[in-house]
Amino acid sequence: MSTVRLASLTKHYGSTVAVHEFDLDVADGEFVTLLGPSGCGKTTTLRMIAGLVDPTGGRVFFDDQDVTFLPPRARNIGFVFQTPALFPHLSVADNVGFGLSVKRAKKAAIAARVDEMLALVGLAGYGARLPAQLSGGQQQRVALARVLATDPRVLLFDEPLSALDRNLRDTLKYSILDLQRRTAKTAIYVTHDQSEAFAISDRIVVMNSGRVEQIGTQMEIYLSPKTEFVAEFIGANNGLAGTVTGIEGTGEAARTIVSSGELILRTRTLAPAAIGDPVVAYLRPEDVVVLQEGEPADFENVVEGTIERVIFEGPTAQLRVDVGGRQLRADVSGGRRLIFPEGRGRIRLGFNDLTLIPAEPPDTVSSAR
Amino acid sequence: MTTGVAPAAAASRVPARRPLLNARRLTDVLSHAYIWLCLIVFVLPFLALLGYSFTGPGGTRPAQNFAYVVTSFGDNLLWSLKISALTLIINVVVSLPAAYAIVRHSFPGKRLLFSVLTLPLYVPGAVIGISLVLTYNFTYHLTTSMWGLVLAMALGTFPLMLTPLVVALKDLPVVFEEAAECLGATKWQTYRRIVLPLIGPGLSAGLLLCFIIVFNEYLVTLFVHPPGLTTAPLRVFNQIRTAGLSPTTAALAVTMQVISFAAVLLFFRLFGTRHLKGTYLL
Repeated sequence: MSTVRLASLTKHYGSTVAVHEFDLDVADGEFVTLLGPSGCGKTTTLRMIAGLVDPTGGRVFFDDQDVTFLPPRARNIGFVFQTPALFPHLSVADNVGFGLSVKRAKKAAIAARVDEMLALVGLAGYGARLPAQLSGGQQQRVALARVLATDPRVLLFDEPLSALDRNLRDTLKYSILDLQRRTAKTAIYVTHDQSEAFAISDRIVVMNSGRVEQIGTQMEIYLSPKTEFVAEFIGANNGLAGTVTGIEGTGEAARTIVSSGELILRTRTLAPAAIGDPVVAYLRPEDVVVLQEGEPADFENVVEGTIERVIFEGPTAQLRVDVGGRQLRADVSGGRRLIFPEGRGRIRLGFNDLTLIPAEPPDTVSSAR
Repeated sequence: MTTGVAPAAAASRVPARRPLLNARRLTDVLSHAYIWLCLIVFVLPFLALLGYSFTGPGGTRPAQNFAYVVTSFGDNLLWSLKISALTLIINVVVSLPAAYAIVRHSFPGKRLLFSVLTLPLYVPGAVIGISLVLTYNFTYHLTTSMWGLVLAMALGTFPLMLTPLVVALKDLPVVFEEAAECLGATKWQTYRRIVLPLIGPGLSAGLLLCFIIVFNEYLVTLFVHPPGLTTAPLRVFNQIRTAGLSPTTAALAVTMQVISFAAVLLFFRLFGTRHLKGTYLL
């Protein structure tokens, strides 16, 4: 039960930058997820918070205490690893009680706490077993009980579900969230799995190449991505590179005009750049509406294109439509809308608002990645 | 259809008369024969020794022979055990931290250092013996004390302790140590309660190898043993040189063999079950 503050936290391995000036404030009891592709520095960040890796710059604070160079044992953290990492030679009870026994707690107190923790994770009565006699999911739950037993200030999770199969992941992620809520612990969770991050986080930090791309709630990150990386990494997105060519109207009726190839796009979104500057206009596939023959087109943008491919996925179908030389993906769901002729049929698409992100100059892109 | 098929199927199910020696059976018989041949070749010399140790001037007298071993060679056996025990302690004390440093820390020249440390394995015993005699001449009293011999044994055998420990530590994922430290354990607690039990198999392998080698070492002992200290293997050689092959010497040899064998059994009993069970290794 503690706030966590990272101030310009940095880690270099030789000339390689693993984490670059990471700033983050985690509130007491908050569940924050670090999300990013492998090698983005999220695990290194977590390990610096734990004290398993020494930073080359910056500071880590728990509440107002500077813990930057404290060893892990002095930080009172609970770290759940990718593998359960239960000590194979100790029983489940001895594993859960390990943190208390190294602090020389009384035997009776340890036993009581162990029982309480095992009951909390739904494994009461499993104390005498050896870890090898448990399933993967049970082992990870024992690992949870083990870190909770010491009543840590902060819970740290390093992709704890990645070694489990899909169904188990789904149930266990809600168990983790539930335990975090019931114990009111501050939690920092690392994952590369968006659905996991979206399911359990209060806030998500999207990371890429050692840098923070965006910090926000699920809706902020999904609906208003701030960088090209976030727009493309989170969910599916159509990115239309173009330039801002003008602004029409004023006040509520103001529209930014973006030209992308042969397309002229209108959006209520305010231009993030001056006229003439390059931007990328992002459009979620589910926001693209397929217009039926003769249907009135009540959209800011109506474009016509050729269906190149239909991918039927069950509840939805993906349409790949060639619109003036650019490929647009449109996801349609439900009923008659799923039935489209294979082949190169003509189709009309309507959509309203686009997310405009200033295009990164090519040299920044290459140095950042 | 069925009536047409059934007789044919039935006919094919009637087993053809099994040849007495088909290829598979032959391989079976031959491999068993080979195993037995090996057993006999390896065990026969020991059986001969055992048989001889039971003989004496007045027919068979195993009791007297072995009683003689205890009374007359008891000192030599005790020295052997004492030297072995001290060597094992030194080996463990030196090798555990060394193996941990070699595996868990990176430093320049690590591979070279490990190669140098294992060098004694490839140096002939006579070379070690001569070099140590020469070296000990420069020291205060290593030539005249038991410790000269103990140090010589440790020098020759500690790679046998170090190597299995290095292998065991390399196989031990570092996550166990990290988990322990995150749970509040000090380095020492982590080492004693997590690392040491989990490398038990490696440790026991090292102890076993070193014990067998040290307990039976003759050549190096010949060079560096201090006056008045005669280990069991040395005594066997001395007896044979001075008094020829007598049944009592054979009895001493048998006793040495039994002690070595007992050590193997004891180690497997201690470490083989207690520490292997429940580890990720098994």
